[in-house]
Amino acid sequence: MISGKVRSWLVRLYPRAWRERYAAEFDALLDECLRSPLDVVDVMLGAMDAHLQLLNGDNVNWRIMNRINKLRTTILVVFAAYIGFIVAGFSLVGLADDSPMIPLMKTAPALAAAWTTIQMAAAVALLAVVIGGLPLALTVIRRALASSRHALGLLLVPVFAFLALVLYVGFVYLVGSGRIQVPGVLPVVQPGYFPPGNRLMLAGLMLVFVLGAIASTLAVWKAVSGTDVEQETFRAVGRTLSVKIYTFAFVPAVITSLSMLVMLLATLAWGWLAFSILPQVFAGDFGPWGTSTRVWYFGIVALMSVCTLAAFFGLARNRSARTTV
Amino acid sequence: MDISEFGRFSDPAVLILTSLAGGEKHGYAMMEDIRATAGVRMGPGTLYGALSRLEQSGLIESLPADERRRPYRLTAWGVTFLRQYLASLEKFVSLSLKRLEA
Repeated sequence: MISGKVRSWLVRLYPRAWRERYAAEFDALLDECLRSPLDVVDVMLGAMDAHLQLLNGDNVNWRIMNRINKLRTTILVVFAAYIGFIVAGFSLVGLADDSPMIPLMKTAPALAAAWTTIQMAAAVALLAVVIGGLPLALTVIRRALASSRHALGLLLVPVFAFLALVLYVGFVYLVGSGRIQVPGVLPVVQPGYFPPGNRLMLAGLMLVFVLGAIASTLAVWKAVSGTDVEQETFRAVGRTLSVKIYTFAFVPAVITSLSMLVMLLATLAWGWLAFSILPQVFAGDFGPWGTSTRVWYFGIVALMSVCTLAAFFGLARNRSARTTV
Repeated sequence: MDISEFGRFSDPAVLILTSLAGGEKHGYAMMEDIRATAGVRMGPGTLYGALSRLEQSGLIESLPADERRRPYRLTAWGVTFLRQYLASLEKFVSLSLKRLEA
């Protein structure tokens, strides 16, 4: 009987794309039938043949890989666009929180309706991302646990980024409640006076949030890119489900993109209404560090527009990949 | 499509298709079936070399994995293909036999 180490080494001789598809079942077969040195030679020849097949670009193999690559990239584009949109969305919340717009919404129903539309579309988009991304996330986690420590490390990046944000927010809360004293930072700031220490602390919060979002997106992108699988089998409630993960993610990606468009339009409507009701707000400096509200608002709208366009671009490419490949 | 497109995997491909004509099977069951019916001991590398080509050609398809083993079965196109191939083989065999008898 050939040892497990030799078996594992033999499987590794095959190209990665081949292993992604056949490794588990091939290993099970070798477990049962690998007995003689002739079998080892046969497997080595098989591995060489698989490499040659890839080098030759033999028919369906490359087509399948190209199709997976295109479908995966387009779904990832929508995901990355959504993350960018979230950054813009949180910036908008921060801008509104520090301005007279929140009290204004209590007396202006149209303004409140626009804000509610943004919140509802955000909830729909989040739900769609979770549903569409779940099979993909489970597949990547499963593959990472089975064969790739590197991929597992990449998947930990969003977890650490989130923990860093939670820790920072906790720190800000403790400073704000006066439980921790930081030189140059006031627990409570007065309107019109934002000390440099507080500005620095706020900049740190934004930095942790934005860098965490960028690092998480890049890490997830890399981890997903390393998983050349289109279909995965899941067991749930005693049933076996075979899911084409990128095809499954398409409808949620459409819903996410449409929600982003709705949020963008609602943000524009909200800004226009706020400007109509209280023009001096846009002339003020309610942005972070007392910067211009107008500059921040149009910056947020610009980021939202770019992200929405990117999401629809991803959808169009996905549709084209599914129909032409 | 012609069976010669499978190159050195032509014979294993026919053996696999014939094995699957008897019902869905995973790799090891195919090897045992081929050994029992054709007297051929097919190596695991040869089996999966032919199996991957057959799957890519759409002649066979995989089913959800049972533990780590994944069963395969013939597609409708695979059934047609095997039937046509065996019919042409039958013609060739009968012609050869006639020539021997002449």
